[in-house]
Amino acid sequence: MARERSWRAQKVIERLEQKVNRQVLLSLAACVHCGMCTEQCHYVLANPDDPTYAPAYKADKLRKLFKAHIDWTGRAFPWWVGARSVYTDEELEDLKDTVFGKCTNCRRCSFNCPMGVDMATFNRLARGLLVHVGIMPEGVATVAKDQWEIGNQMGVLKEDYLETVEWMEEELQDEFDDPNIKIPIDKKGAELVYTINPREAKYDPRTIAEAAAIFHFAGENWTMVSEGWDMTNFGLFNGDDELGGACARRVYDAARTIGAKRIVISECGHGYRSTRCEGPNWSKTDLPDIEMESSIITMLRYIKEGRIQVDKSKNSIPVTYHDSCNMARSCGMTEEPRELLRLVCSDFREMYPNRQQNFCCTGGGGAMSMAEYAPRRLKSAKIKAEQLRATGAKIVITSCHNCVDGLTDLIKHYQLDMEVKQLVDMVYNALVVPKPAPKVEVPVAVAPGEIPAKALAGYKVLVIDDEPDVRTYLRVIFKDKGAEVLEAPDANQGWRQIRDQKPDLVTLDLVMPHKTGEKLYWELRKDEKYKNLPIVIITGYGKTDKPTVRFHEFIAEKGIPEPNAFLEKPIDPDKVIETAIQVLGTRIPSDQIQ
Amino acid sequence: MYETSPLLHFAEDTLQIAALAFMAIVYALKIRWILKFPAGKERQKPTAPPGRDGRKGALYSLAAIALPWAMASYRERPLRYVQFAVFHLAVAASILMSFLIPYAPETIASPAAVVALQAIFAAGILMGLMRLWRRLADPHVRAISTPDDYFSLALLIVWLGASIAAAPNAREVSETPLLAYFFLTAFFLVYVPFSKISHYIYYPFSRYYLGKTLGRRGAYPLANPAAMLKPES
Ligand code: SF4
Ligand code: SF4
Repeated sequence: MARERSWRAQKVIERLEQKVNRQVLLSLAACVHCGMCTEQCHYVLANPDDPTYAPAYKADKLRKLFKAHIDWTGRAFPWWVGARSVYTDEELEDLKDTVFGKCTNCRRCSFNCPMGVDMATFNRLARGLLVHVGIMPEGVATVAKDQWEIGNQMGVLKEDYLETVEWMEEELQDEFDDPNIKIPIDKKGAELVYTINPREAKYDPRTIAEAAAIFHFAGENWTMVSEGWDMTNFGLFNGDDELGGACARRVYDAARTIGAKRIVISECGHGYRSTRCEGPNWSKTDLPDIEMESSIITMLRYIKEGRIQVDKSKNSIPVTYHDSCNMARSCGMTEEPRELLRLVCSDFREMYPNRQQNFCCTGGGGAMSMAEYAPRRLKSAKIKAEQLRATGAKIVITSCHNCVDGLTDLIKHYQLDMEVKQLVDMVYNALVVPKPAPKVEVPVAVAPGEIPAKALAGYKVLVIDDEPDVRTYLRVIFKDKGAEVLEAPDANQGWRQIRDQKPDLVTLDLVMPHKTGEKLYWELRKDEKYKNLPIVIITGYGKTDKPTVRFHEFIAEKGIPEPNAFLEKPIDPDKVIETAIQVLGTRIPSDQIQ
Repeated sequence: MYETSPLLHFAEDTLQIAALAFMAIVYALKIRWILKFPAGKERQKPTAPPGRDGRKGALYSLAAIALPWAMASYRERPLRYVQFAVFHLAVAASILMSFLIPYAPETIASPAAVVALQAIFAAGILMGLMRLWRRLADPHVRAISTPDDYFSLALLIVWLGASIAAAPNAREVSETPLLAYFFLTAFFLVYVPFSKISHYIYYPFSRYYLGKTLGRRGAYPLANPAAMLKPES
């Protein structure tokens, strides 16, 4: 008697039969089970005793189904060649666990497979089959829904996006004291449309401002757009070609409406691959008149053509480069980022293996949206952590927002002494532009709402916090008021910056990896040179929570003075500035601290 | 002059031709089956930098098996490449021998040629046994192995054993080794299209398509694969 099959399982089989094309068929049929791909996968390296992480084992989950329903030897002799169909939703859940939770579609195994089996392509297909019947991690469903309904994968509303862009425009105008710096929106006839990852609008708007400054100083005729600005594409991750096509089409339509000749894609691996390479296929669109390029190429061109000047000595901290899988293995973009890095950084150190042989950051394939697999992801990041540590670099540069998040997470997890940046940060930092001399204004205590525009001009503020988002936020707030802002991701680097850069004010987080903020505070207060250095503690815990209480007990026990101010997260920007002005109003001038 | 028995004559001639014809028909059907599936179309403009394109990518990809230094998997475990190369060389030599014995015996009649062939087959058996051991002992490979994987490998090892015995082509002493060899060869030819051994039919296709896509996007050919893995000294 034929075994009963759930309707989902039935649908998955029917769709598999429709979706298999020649490339997928060959990848599914060609595997000889040689196992050469095994040690090439970061999941295997972190779980050497668990064969279920081996690429061929994972691939076989779909291959068995293919053999049972499509491959003729499998249909004739199923047991002999390992063919097996699916019948229940539980079996589909098991397939979900593999294709979403045990593979980031990084393609590293394919580059090291003698048969040329393209694992990532059919793993994506398997994801699409499951998504079609509603089986997927919750985060994947949410992100896809946002991208379908709101038009971007982080659900950023149009007003918020436009407000953020406007905010960044004001930032730039203040920073360079130049009202002519603009971030144009929907400017008809612009040569170039700049598209971004919504993460930039939501968490890291400085990258928008930095790119805008680069366009401005290069004299570019450019614009951003109010619709179709998100170049990311969750269709790549959830295997839904229709979503992939819809997202890509939005971007192409926006560029056509503007009449632009070029779409510049900000630094995002999957966004670049989806928009430039896969998008035309998914959306069945030919774009003969529009060029697409990564912002890496744009920035490199500006430097080579002399449209912007850079000084690499401004980036002297040792840096390394992490190749995003989508950039390197799926799009061959390996040399251009390095060329650019060498132009804007003075101490670039290669990481091994690199380029097409690099290991995934472990946040790829949409992994950052699948919270349930986070422990597995972080465990699999062991090899990446070892690679990073071996470079001795203090900054890892990557051209991908997923990699930024993946690497930030693993750096924290493996307690590495480094931070993550993108090329745009480095180019911006190295920019040589005629900046107006900062006007030093004497800070005075002010009432809320009456803070002068450049109240902190001439002051150097050091932000010590392990959270990159917090550092970015504080940097924006202080820069907005004219201060020069330095950053340190941990107490040790903070110490170094205090010694080398002599800041006028330090904001200090308490809970940080390696050395805590309270330890650093104590060390500073007992040091003759720095005992009067103005310090504002900015911590993420309420008064009744342990770290704060512990801090007060700690300073009482050590007999050291209270900090100049104590603020709690979430950060209130006005409060931060008022506090800084008040603290600096009573400061010991930095030359007396020497 | 020795008169070959009708059975051996049948085994080395008619049976081989019939088995080869059968294999060819099944292969043709297999290729037709592959081509029935539409090839995914690339609409994207070529994005590779100068010096790389789909054609170069495809050629590089097809040559990949002869470029073990380009793959981390083989660079890290060179012995596995030796196993692969020697084993496949032995199989190819035995296939060649199955044509030479009946149709051009003089080409491999010298004692040196016989010893050379036997040495290749023996090395092939050794490599085959190592591969079989790995399939049984390595939990990762064991977990993916099907009955066909074991049987195909065992079949080839046994066939290479028969090849050693058949290589001297000493039918006047005994026909048994030759009969065993040719019957096994015929079985092998008939079995191949239904087994994993038919991977060499897929190889050119799968490598071609992967290489074409990666070449068009500039990821293939790898410029300096060795330098990606370790700092150059
Ligand atoms: S290396 Fe290729 S052929 Fe070998 S097991 Fe892995 S996917 Fe299959
Ligand atoms: S694509 Fe990457 S994550 Fe997936 S099995 Fe291959 S090496 Fe592992």
